[in-house]
Amino acid sequence: MIKVGKKAPDFEAPAYHQGKFTSVKLSDHLGKWVLLCFYPGDFTFV
Amino acid sequence: MSVDSVFVHKMWNDHELSKMVKGGVPFPMLSDGGGKVGTVFGIYDEDAGVETRGRFIIDPDGVVQGYEVLTPPVGRNVSETMRQVQAFQLVRESKGSQATPAGWRPGKQTLKPGPDLVGKVWETWKTSEAFE
Repeated sequence: MIKVGKKAPDFEAPAYHQGKFTSVKLSDHLGKWVLLCFYPGDFTFV
Repeated sequence: MSVDSVFVHKMWNDHELSKMVKGGVPFPMLSDGGGKVGTVFGIYDEDAGVETRGRFIIDPDGVVQGYEVLTPPVGRNVSETMRQVQAFQLVRESKGSQATPAGWRPGKQTLKPGPDLVGKVWETWKTSEAFE
């Protein structure tokens, strides 16, 4: 369970970014602010 | 991040989102097949097989500073998210010596928590500011 003030669990996931397939690991972004957004699905309306 | 594959992400970006945002989506579109990451973050809907609208603010130490979760039909307010990030950044830069009251926006006054402020917030901060 996520709690504010506690560490976010690390993960690595495949990604599409600026025309390329890549991989994103949360802990590679230590030192920066991260906004992690989930959404129901591509081509959905909202 | 959604349960869609990177291939579907590419099609959505290239054929629709790039028509809304010049140059396409500027940030990585992550794929979470099976909702594994969403499950760990507590926002995966197992019945529907999709992620709900979870949004997490993670600071440079990897600590979750805030989150919001909405059901699918209601969209987020990105300005409010950015306001929160700016507030957390200000607090962090002040090493916790300042706090941002309700309704705070960049440029508005912050509060300096301490013995002198106890019982005196009413002198410097008005409730109407919470709605600004």
